[in-house]
Amino acid sequence: MIPEQPTTPPPPPKRRGFDWRTALVPGLIGGGSIVVVFGVLGWLVATNDNWPRIRAQFFNPDHMLAALPRVAWGFLTNMQVWLIAMACIGVWALVLAVVRSLRGAWFAPFRLMVMLYIDIFRGLPALLLVILFGFGIPALRIPGLPNSGLFWGGVAMVLCYSAYVCEIYRSGIDSVHEGQRAAARALGLSEWQIMVYAILPQALRNVLPSLMNIIVALQKDVALLSVIGVRDAVREAQIYTANTFNYSSLVVAAGLFLLATIPMARLADWVTARDRARRLQQAG
Amino acid sequence: MSDRIDTFRRLTTGALAALALGIGAAQAQETGTPDDARLINPGFLTVGTSDPVYPPWMLNDSPESGEGFENALVYALAEEMGFAREQVQWVRLTFEQIIAPGDKPFDFAINQVSVTPARAEVVGFSQVYYQSDKAVIALPGSPVIGAASFADLRGARWGAAIGTTDLAYLENVLGATDVAVYDDQVGVFQAMQAGQIDATVAALPTALFATAVQIPEASIVAILPPDAGDSGHGLLFQHGNPLIEWVDAALGRLIEAGTVQEMVTTWLVADPTLPIISE
Repeated sequence: MIPEQPTTPPPPPKRRGFDWRTALVPGLIGGGSIVVVFGVLGWLVATNDNWPRIRAQFFNPDHMLAALPRVAWGFLTNMQVWLIAMACIGVWALVLAVVRSLRGAWFAPFRLMVMLYIDIFRGLPALLLVILFGFGIPALRIPGLPNSGLFWGGVAMVLCYSAYVCEIYRSGIDSVHEGQRAAARALGLSEWQIMVYAILPQALRNVLPSLMNIIVALQKDVALLSVIGVRDAVREAQIYTANTFNYSSLVVAAGLFLLATIPMARLADWVTARDRARRLQQAG
Repeated sequence: MSDRIDTFRRLTTGALAALALGIGAAQAQETGTPDDARLINPGFLTVGTSDPVYPPWMLNDSPESGEGFENALVYALAEEMGFAREQVQWVRLTFEQIIAPGDKPFDFAINQVSVTPARAEVVGFSQVYYQSDKAVIALPGSPVIGAASFADLRGARWGAAIGTTDLAYLENVLGATDVAVYDDQVGVFQAMQAGQIDATVAALPTALFATAVQIPEASIVAILPPDAGDSGHGLLFQHGNPLIEWVDAALGRLIEAGTVQEMVTTWLVADPTLPIISE
């Protein structure tokens, strides 16, 4: 039986007029608290008795300008090592991850080797690896091998970061649904073909944001090579500081690193956002 | 209740005022004595040095022993200023901590710090107490062996430790390029043994110790003259420290009396048969 319809429809919800309070209050609170917090911090710094001395030692424009050419020159070294290491890590870690994810019984020893590799190189501090490789291997004086600290320090960075990146790749590979593998096998693809054509394209896409994160971290860790005599931006800044006891050169180096990493961070955000939009579109 | 607090307040204020007066009076009377209120820890002379310290500047990593050039100098200086031996207190720091901005935890530091005009803008220095020649250190088979001029030396691959004036010497006096820079002298020697650099320079006393103990396979190849732009080693103070005048006067008396020169010959003797390259 159909219930009796009400004779008058319920009144439409009251239309809300423009409410200045809801529109402005959050903005006012946000802006006000920013002004208060940063104002207090700024006031604490500026009224500190030592502030003029700190400013002269850390933010001296003359010293910054004087240090800039050498620090920038050192930063070029950072950039070169970073780009080359990034390419090597991308390839080497992928090889490791693929080997670790292969399923045939014959691959067991290789899987074990990759596991040991990751345990060792992810378990050791990068600084220790850089010192061991940078000073240790050249000291063996093996004929035919280069003995430059830059080369072996770069090798140490690649080996170390590959262990991390391998695990990221592997998490990406594991995140691809088992059904994809089954479907590819049903099409008659071999183990290798499944990996190359079905799994990896989806896996890499899934881990792109994490990879961007590692790339930013690598860019800063190149500075570790300074301990084995590579004159990167940080070392050039330290040299300037040691000569003049003025720290403005370190601030210059910090600025250069930020100039390079902040765009990277925004790029990572953008890639993540685009990826998210793509998935949501697919799901809808 | 509030009365009691008021009384308490009045008492403390009075005590504080009396204390302040007392300090003022002490300051007026005792400037230039071991109880000088301008000292970090009045009654003591607090001296900073690095950790570890190396011979021959200080022997056995033990500043308190007074054995070694720099600690012997500090004890002589303390005596000249009226401090007893037990009134000298040592603070062990890294070089970075010694030069770091902010309040320094010592009256002065002694750590073979070279006096330069740029450094003098941010820290205080005493007069120079020692100026060292530079020594070229290399392993057998290095291309610098047998060098006769700066031009011969220039082509070698050089390394130096950060924080020393050795790097400035290599670049400005010798004209070497692409000098590799390490965290400390040990790093320099590691690189030398790894064949990554051909040679390094160091202050002659440091070089004598290094080639005798740290890296006996290496030897001093040549002596180079001091850098004209490097005035030599001085005591390091916080910038504007009012003690500088007092310490500096005492140091000046020791230098004039020949005490410092005596210590140089006692602790920092050089082998006179080394070849000298001066241009």
